[in-house]
Amino acid sequence: MIAFIVRRLVAAVLLLVIVSMVTFAIFFLVPRLVGSTPDDLASRYVGRDASPTSVQAAKKRLHLDDPVPLQYGRFVKGIVAGDEFDYGPQTVKCSAPCFGYSFRTSQNVLDLIKDRFPVTASLVFGASILWLTGGVAVGVLSALKRRSFFDRAAMSIALAGVSLPIYFTGLVSLSLFAYTWKIWPDGVQYANLLDNPVKWAYNLVLPWVTLAFLYAAMYARLTRSGMLETLNEDYIRTARAKGLPERTVITKHALRATLTPILTIFGLDIGLLLGGAVLTESTFSLPGMGKMVVDAITGNDLPVVLGVVMFTALFVVLANLIVDLLYGVVDPRVRHN
Amino acid sequence: MTAPIEVSGSEVEAQPDAVLAGVDRKAIQGRSLGQIAWLRLKRDKVALGGGVVVLLLILAAVFAPVLVKLLGYPPDEFHRELIDPVFSRPTGAYGGIGWDHLFGVEPINGRDLFSRILYGARISLLVAFLATLLSVSIGVVLGMAAGYFGGWVDTVIARAMDVFLAFPLLLFAIALVGAIPSQASIFGLFELKDNSLRIALLIFIIGFFNWPYIGRIIRGQTLSLREREFVDAARSMGARSPHILFKELLPNLIGPILVYSTLLIPTNILFEAALSFLGVGVAPPTPSWGGMLSDAVTKQLYPIAPHFMIVPGLAIFITVMAFNLLGDGLRDALDPRAR
Amino acid sequence: MKRTKTTVGVALSAVLALGLAACGGGSDDNGGGGDGGGGGSAFDAAVSKVVNPSTKTGGTLKYVITDAPDSMDPGNTYYAYNWDFTRYFARALLTFDPKPGEAGLKVVPDLAEGLGQPSDGGKTWTYKIRKGVKYEDGTEVKAEDIKYAVARSNYTDELQGGPHYFTQYLAAGDYKGPYKDKNLDDFKGIETPDDHTLVFKLNQPFYEFDYLLTNPQTSPVPKAKDTGLKYQEHPVSTGPYMFENHSIGKSFALVKNPNWSAATDPLRKQLVDRVELTMKVTGADIDNRLLAGTEHLMLAGTGAEAAARAKILSSDSLKKNADNPLTGFLRYAMLSTKVKPFDNIECRKAVQYALDRTATQGAYGGPVAGDIATTALPPTETGYTKYDLYATPGNKGDVNKAKTALQACGQPNGFETNIAVRGDRDKEVAAGEAMQQSLAKVGIKAQIKKYPSGDYSSQYAGKPAFVHKEKLGIIIAGWGSDWPTGFGFLSQIAHSKAIKDSSNYNEMELEDPAIDKLLDDGAKTEDIAQREQMWSQVDKKIMESAALVPFIYEKTLLYRPPNLTNVYFHLAYKMYDYPSIGLQ
Repeated sequence: MIAFIVRRLVAAVLLLVIVSMVTFAIFFLVPRLVGSTPDDLASRYVGRDASPTSVQAAKKRLHLDDPVPLQYGRFVKGIVAGDEFDYGPQTVKCSAPCFGYSFRTSQNVLDLIKDRFPVTASLVFGASILWLTGGVAVGVLSALKRRSFFDRAAMSIALAGVSLPIYFTGLVSLSLFAYTWKIWPDGVQYANLLDNPVKWAYNLVLPWVTLAFLYAAMYARLTRSGMLETLNEDYIRTARAKGLPERTVITKHALRATLTPILTIFGLDIGLLLGGAVLTESTFSLPGMGKMVVDAITGNDLPVVLGVVMFTALFVVLANLIVDLLYGVVDPRVRHN
Repeated sequence: MTAPIEVSGSEVEAQPDAVLAGVDRKAIQGRSLGQIAWLRLKRDKVALGGGVVVLLLILAAVFAPVLVKLLGYPPDEFHRELIDPVFSRPTGAYGGIGWDHLFGVEPINGRDLFSRILYGARISLLVAFLATLLSVSIGVVLGMAAGYFGGWVDTVIARAMDVFLAFPLLLFAIALVGAIPSQASIFGLFELKDNSLRIALLIFIIGFFNWPYIGRIIRGQTLSLREREFVDAARSMGARSPHILFKELLPNLIGPILVYSTLLIPTNILFEAALSFLGVGVAPPTPSWGGMLSDAVTKQLYPIAPHFMIVPGLAIFITVMAFNLLGDGLRDALDPRAR
Repeated sequence: MKRTKTTVGVALSAVLALGLAACGGGSDDNGGGGDGGGGGSAFDAAVSKVVNPSTKTGGTLKYVITDAPDSMDPGNTYYAYNWDFTRYFARALLTFDPKPGEAGLKVVPDLAEGLGQPSDGGKTWTYKIRKGVKYEDGTEVKAEDIKYAVARSNYTDELQGGPHYFTQYLAAGDYKGPYKDKNLDDFKGIETPDDHTLVFKLNQPFYEFDYLLTNPQTSPVPKAKDTGLKYQEHPVSTGPYMFENHSIGKSFALVKNPNWSAATDPLRKQLVDRVELTMKVTGADIDNRLLAGTEHLMLAGTGAEAAARAKILSSDSLKKNADNPLTGFLRYAMLSTKVKPFDNIECRKAVQYALDRTATQGAYGGPVAGDIATTALPPTETGYTKYDLYATPGNKGDVNKAKTALQACGQPNGFETNIAVRGDRDKEVAAGEAMQQSLAKVGIKAQIKKYPSGDYSSQYAGKPAFVHKEKLGIIIAGWGSDWPTGFGFLSQIAHSKAIKDSSNYNEMELEDPAIDKLLDDGAKTEDIAQREQMWSQVDKKIMESAALVPFIYEKTLLYRPPNLTNVYFHLAYKMYDYPSIGLQ
């Protein structure tokens, strides 16, 4: 077991290194490949009335004239050993792990992420509980009562769910529940969990439901087809033949086998969503990671983009790791290996 | 089934075996798999309905210029006389929907929504089809290679898939589309500019980053097919890898490829719409569904002209739904156990 | 400055409105107007008088904004709304009189005891500052702190967000700024003979110098507290409010400054307990929040969008809480005189005649969003006169006249060109589409090119090399002046010296010696009436060149929630006077 974890950790670190290199290449190399000079890049980060010397200074301050591999080296060094940044009269020390400072707002990227992460985490946390329980329950029931009215209705709704753009559902729910029926008269404003848990939950209901609807629809479809698949397996037939009560067959055998692939996907989905539920956050103006990173992309705030992408990859890796460990609990076959 | 577009989820990966485990096993009844599948599909009214809608949509997109000439107005033509100057919304009831303008007119400038939806379908379908083709091509080649050769080839490709799956795809798409200049030559071969470049780029990005989903499925299928008797037989008769890959394995993979292509198309339609929604789609005045939705939202026009959000929203919904129904039906038809 | 709520980006491309308005702008439905006295609410009431005057204190005043301010550092911001807002915590040397109507255009002393005393033919300006003004930490404001503030905001490489008029007008040699050169005495542009006197040394006579000092760049910054780019996290307050917390790009809160005293600040009040700003709220939400009353003011002052506008205008009870003033902004297209065939004036005239100006007006939102423009100067600026060189029937364009011009240009069948727009400004995109339609009617095929607004002037439309390379014949943009005079408006967009390699706002690249001379001479002219007459001539010369295609004199529809007190539209800032507002 220890060896397994170590092996996975090494693979995870390797994966993160590759992700960081690719991200770096896309955001720092591509602009150069298509013809932007360091001066062009630097002029993005000075005011509209900036002098040529200040563009040069910005270029130097942000190290834009260094070769890209050197910039990458500095990025890695920052994470491992920290870095220093020059902001006018003072030099700011950024201790390890340092993900750099925003080109636009001169803020520590790690602080920015720490600031935004709770919002995204709150959104994903609530929604994932809803969709995992809801989606799996509906999927299992549908599979068991195959071709019943419930099955058909649930699957039709699920199909509609995966076919609707999430920003469309979000906007419709916002305009109906918030502004027409005034159930959320203030719209959706994020409230800090620790300050006011009731307000926190109340304000997140709409985003939770919107996001969960999409994923629950997908998970219900997955669970249903997985369950049907499993129920056809020989070992289920054997279990039934043995005379085990149906309840035991379903819960102890069928459900476990069905849940294994669902868990894999769940891990990946959670990981990616924690890096920012871009569309949901944009639709409900939640100040989460996704909103921040889209703003950062349009504003060419490269360190912020890099930081968020790295964290997303980290979440994906971590979620996968946890899922792998959970496999042992859910699926006996893994445990026995 | 579609991967959700909040992230690039990986639903397709979930039921690798749900598809075709029994394909060749059941092909003993004297009818080919295709025939059986077709018979099944014919009985599945819902899937057939989806198929008909898909067909109609494709026809509508292809013949958009003709249809628009018959039933609409040029997509870029302003009809400001139909717009209330103070409120910027159509003066006619329900967004000006009527015989003249079947889907009403756009707020602000009064462009005919019917023709814009039709022309938007061209963009959406073109991007979705070609991107799917790209993903499927890469996914099939790499998936088969990984599954067939195993060993380090498999390790490398499987790791590559992991890397791709760990990327926030949407972010990369936004960044890449934004970073590209308005003119570029592709390997010095052909010059692309403006919208054609944008469209090419959208196709490339959506297609290129989506291949691992299909790659995983093909890899799994190949792994199990590799051990089958007919492959062993071919090998023992001295067939070489290319022959086995293309003549023995590939025909047996047509089923899942077809199913997942059909299911990837709606995902890609949603993806393209999401990119347009976030402002990095095709350039105006070229219409696109996501772009129209985005206009309805960013210009805050949907409360005063709800049809401007509902019409493109429904267009996306119906198209995606139709493809999903067809894909589900295909999967059921090709998977004997699912019935 | 931007009106598109969802895309208000960083300030790089922003242009500011500080226009001198001869008239109050907008129609005056209540007919009250101009007396500066208080009254109840009615449509457009706050344009001419104080609505709901009250001395009631307490409450939390809540602002929202779609994006985030460029910087809360008074020395590093280029948004009119921030020049308005920073007065909560930053006292400049001079300011605009906090009064409704034309009275608001008067420059009055803030930290200074009086207006500038010119000597040496307008090249030396002397100011005395008030005694006993304190920072939030209780230390006293010294003249040297103001000198330092000007030095840091105009001479350092780090703080580049604001305008650089002091660099342009002060005789400071090649001073390197206080970050590189630690000895402030090396900054010769300003002298501080004692703790309460400032002497500005100019390199040329400039009779509009007092206007420059209303910029928050002249609000004092204690050298020991300056943290460069990070100073915006907590600028040290001299005003009635100070920062309690600030999460950059997200939100901040201001609370009462205990060391502020009304005795040294006759212009401000300390009515509300707290002032809060929430950033990055989508446009879809802001209007709804304002109408619901859960939030009070949209900081950027860009007004209601289509949906809310319809709601407000069709309901009498909402309409009486709204104003529809001119913003001082001109929305236009510039025709690049260095891109063929627009190097030929006849081809430029063809565009002027072909354009359906009602369609471009519609693109910006119709009559509520602006009046059709025919001049380079908007009516809010001194020197404006009404005329129309390129009149067409009903402003809808004249195909025949356009074709005649095309003939004269040697392009009888039209030509191909490109229209540059800020892709994330839907109104500009819509204006581009409207223009495209008009031009197509005379055979001019124009392709729309979208560029990101954040880099629009630094990388694209404001970079002549790029404009020439990409053949951007038509560039859609907007302009508002940095201070409310014809000179403040025109010198930046029409003087040949304003043409720069990057961040160029004379995007037509107009090089007309007559215009240059009028502007240069005007700045040295002490007589106000004569100056205004000269600005008027510059306006005509620009229109004669046909390189500027005006669309609209922008108007906005501002909603003021009924529970706000002391609300009025400030003519200099072209939005509500924020620091005066209280709550019922």
